[in-house]
This record gives sequence, C-alpha cells and structure tokens, in this order.
Amino acid sequence: MSVELIWSLITGAALFGVGIYGALSQTNLVMIMMGVELILAGALLNMVAFFRYLHPDVAAGQMFVLIIMTVMALEMAVGFGVAIARFRYKGSVEMEEAAELKD
Amino acid sequence: MITAQAIFIGFFGIAAVWFGVVVFRTFSMVRSAIALLFSQTALGAMFLTMEVEFLGVLQIMMMATEMSIMAIFMVMFMMDPGGMGEMDMTHQKQFSLTAGFISFVGAVAVAVFIDWGPVSTVAVDSVEQTKALGFELLDRSMLIFEMAGITILTAMIAATAVAIKPASKTSQPKSSSTAHGDHQHKEQSK
Amino acid sequence: MTSLLILLSLAFGVYLLAVLEAWIVNGRFQLSRPVYSALALLGRESIIPRKPDLLFFETGPIILLIAALLAAAVIPLAPGFIIADLATGALFLNAALAYVLVALIMAGWGPNGAYAMIGGWRFLGQLIAYAMLIVMPITAVAMRAESLVTTEIVLSQSAVWNIFYQPLGFALFFIASMGLAFMPPFDMPTAKSELAGGVEAEYSGFRLAIFRLGRMVLVITLAAATVTFYLGGWHGPGLAPWVWSAIKILLVTAAMLLVGKYLPRIRESDLLAWCWKLGIPLALINIFIVGILLVVIP
Repeated sequence: MSVELIWSLITGAALFGVGIYGALSQTNLVMIMMGVELILAGALLNMVAFFRYLHPDVAAGQMFVLIIMTVMALEMAVGFGVAIARFRYKGSVEMEEAAELKD
Repeated sequence: MITAQAIFIGFFGIAAVWFGVVVFRTFSMVRSAIALLFSQTALGAMFLTMEVEFLGVLQIMMMATEMSIMAIFMVMFMMDPGGMGEMDMTHQKQFSLTAGFISFVGAVAVAVFIDWGPVSTVAVDSVEQTKALGFELLDRSMLIFEMAGITILTAMIAATAVAIKPASKTSQPKSSSTAHGDHQHKEQSK
Repeated sequence: MTSLLILLSLAFGVYLLAVLEAWIVNGRFQLSRPVYSALALLGRESIIPRKPDLLFFETGPIILLIAALLAAAVIPLAPGFIIADLATGALFLNAALAYVLVALIMAGWGPNGAYAMIGGWRFLGQLIAYAMLIVMPITAVAMRAESLVTTEIVLSQSAVWNIFYQPLGFALFFIASMGLAFMPPFDMPTAKSELAGGVEAEYSGFRLAIFRLGRMVLVITLAAATVTFYLGGWHGPGLAPWVWSAIKILLVTAAMLLVGKYLPRIRESDLLAWCWKLGIPLALINIFIVGILLVVIP
C-alpha cells in the first residue's frame, strides 16, 4: 500500500471535512461558497490521486478533473450573480435573513 | 517507503489543510479569501509533485484568478471586510463541527481500510500525458467537451442576466403603492 | 550553472530597462542612474502606515518578484539555455503571471490606505480585461508548434516567424502584456498623477525598491515571452543565438516603453469594453485563422 496514495486520500478527506464545517456553519453566502470550494477541492485531490496512482494510462481521469474545475468556476459565477441580485434587493447577503420567502 | 515525493506531498497536504482552516478562523475577510487561494495553490503544488503536470499548472492558474475575484466580492458584500470589528458570524456551530468530523472520519476509514489494488509508482511522461489528454478531449469525450462549452455559455448568460440592473427611465419601485404616492405628490406640488 | 547565467543576464536586462525607461521619461541617457536611484531608495526612511495589514504589506512586493522570476524560468534564451524546461511551459508562464494579480491585491489591501486599495482593485478590473487576450494568442501559438514546450515553440518558427504567421495574435498579446505589466497607457494601478502613485503610494524605502525591481523583472519577462512566442526566439543570421535573443528583447522593451509615452491613460470602463467586445472576438478569429492555415499549408 503506497504511502503517497493513502496520504493524498487522507488530505482530500480533511479538506472535505473542513469544507463541510464551513458550508454548514457560516451565515454569509460568500463564506458558504468558500466552503463549497473546499469540498470540491477535496474531491479533486482524490480524483487526481486515483488517476495518478491507480490508473495512470486512462486519460479520462484527467477529463473528469477538468470537468470538476469547470464546475467550480461555474458555480462561483452563478452564485455571485445571485448574490448581486440579492444584495441589490435587500442590502445584505446574510442567509439567516433569507430563510423565508417573504421579505 | 518514504520517498522525497512522499515528504513533499505530506508538506503540501498539511499546508493545504492548514490554509483551509485559516479561512474560517480569521476575522478579516480578505485574509480569508487569500488563505483559500493559498490552500488551492498548495493543492496545485501537490499535483505538480505527483507529476500530473498539466492539471497542477491549470489548478494554480485558475484558482489565483478565481479567489481574487472572490476577494473583491467579499469587500463588496460583507459589512466588515477588514475584520477589525471581530464579529462572530457563525451559526449551528456544534452541528457543523460534528458533521465535518463524521465526514472526515468516514472518508479516512474508506481510504485506509480498502485494498486499492496494484499501485503504479512510475508516472507517465508529462508530454505524453498532455498529448493523451488532448486526444481524449477531442476524440472520445468530444460530446462531454461540447456540452461543457454550452453549459459554460448558458451559465455566463444566466449570471449576467441575473446581475444586470434593469435599465428603465425611472427606477423600478419595489411595490406599486410608492408609484401612486409619487404621482400624487407630483400633482399636489404642481 | 545555466540558472546562474540566466539570472545574471536577467539582472543585466533589468539594468538596461531602467536606463531605457529613464531615457524615455526624462530625456537623458545616463548609464549610472539606476545605481544612484537604487542607493537612494535603499537609504531612505521606510515609512510604515498606521495599522497596516502587516502580513499583506510585507508579502505583496515579494510575491510580485517571485511571480516574475518564476515566469522567467521557462523562457529559452538559446537552445538548451533555460532554467526549467517544463512540459507545459507556455501554460506555466501564464500561471506564474496570474500571481502578479495576487501580489497587487495584497499590496493594495495591506497598507490600509484609500489610494492603494483603489489601485489594487483597479488591477483586478484590468486583469478581467486582458486575461483572455493573453491566453488565446498563446493557444494559437501552441497550435502551430503542436506542443506547449517553449523550446518547441521557438523551433517551430525556424521557417516563418509567428509575427508574420499570426499578426493578429501578436498585436493582442503585445497589448495584453502591456496591461499585465501595468505599463502606461494601462497603468491604472499606479497612476502617478491620479492616485498619487496608487499601489506604490504607501511603500517607501527598500520595500519600494523590491516592488519596482519586481515590476521591471516582469516587464523583461513579458518582452522575452513576446520574443519567444512571436519573434522567433534565438533565430537570426550570423550572430550567436543569445545575442539575437538579447537584441530582440531590448527592442520589444523599447517598443513597449515608447508606446506608453505617446498614448494617454485608458480608463477602466473603456479598457473593459474594448477588450471584451473587440479583443476576444479577434482572438477567437485568430485561433480560427491559424487552424485553417495549419490545415491548408503542408
């Protein structure tokens, strides 16, 4: 069992855990998005570790990583668009105030 | 067997997790965004150490720009971007700590207790890797590539459409009563 | 040994750039001027603003210097004369240059001053304008070379230089690299007369010296990148390869400085509008044309 693979998977798990803590405990939309970025980073690291150590000749692994990176950028873009619209309407992006649909 | 590669991967891994923790522990918002940037850079450095060169360079390049944009959105939206007020902006802390810890333990258990099979210690040459990725992108995964392109375009148009201010002669009132109030006020002051 | 030689030639290039810039701005050609101004900067008092974000304040200029040096590590000055011959050289250049943005944001936010902060965020706006204009011409260049290795890119130009093969890409890359190095007319972040120096406003003493040194290394690196991608690198009749590289890099640097002397500063909104509405379609057309040329010409 190779040390590098196990250590990469553990680091990916740690990033995932920190990301879940952040995404669940923060009240501001931008901080929640940072938590989601960390979750996706953990998944990305696991994917690259699997590609490099278990199946280095399957190029579809790199393709998957590209798609995850694209998704990270996209969800940030759309999330910030929603944040701008919400800020323009309400004046803040605190998620506790957004718990109900009525203002 | 501890090789030099393992030591560097360990170092960058610890750096990535530490910067990730700093993101949520610091009070200053811009420091939080820049810490996330350095966490992703450490991740990219890990990829480079693992000799997955193209993905490492791509990760470093993309995350620098993305996290800087996150920094400016922080400054735009947060009420205390410098962190001098030292406000605590969290809720349900106990629940999220337990959730984070349980997911970490679960993922580590999966990683440690499963037999992953034969591990290859020699990486593919970088030039061959990039070439293989290029062929894969345009040959077998062409449909995925084009769908990703169209999805990106749709997301860009959607985000711009949501964020654009409605352009009209008078600014749109939130409810109709203020419109009537404005009209009455104008008539009275004539 | 090679790395040391390249770093020495980089230092020499930076010195010549300082002399050139002083000549173009002041009108006087003094070979000893950089030495005197460096000594003056190092001898001056280092004023630290009140309540800075110390981590960012100290780290900003250093990251600028490191980013510029990392970008210079993948540029070939002669066959085999390169610090790090990476398999994704052209993309690594781009990745290292993305950290110029991080450095300027840190240098803008750190000093806890209004002018510096505005300068830093203006650079982010500039980056959104020129980022695509740097990456897409590099894509077209890599298409012709069928590789991202910078040595291969230079070798693919042995018949026809890229400036004649892809003139549109050259124009876009030249303009975008002037924007990346925040040289006039794109010097919104360090506007001398408007923002009182912008990002450089709160720095003094040796930190300012490091900031200016980082900026000059960045300019030389971008000129070297233009020469590698578009002007044929070390190709040329007669003289040794590294002599040709040096001559071409100095000529490109002089061209960048001269363009800045005669054009007014471009506003942020104008820059964004022109780059996104005109620049990106032109870059895409460039990729399309290069693709057709590669298929048609054997």
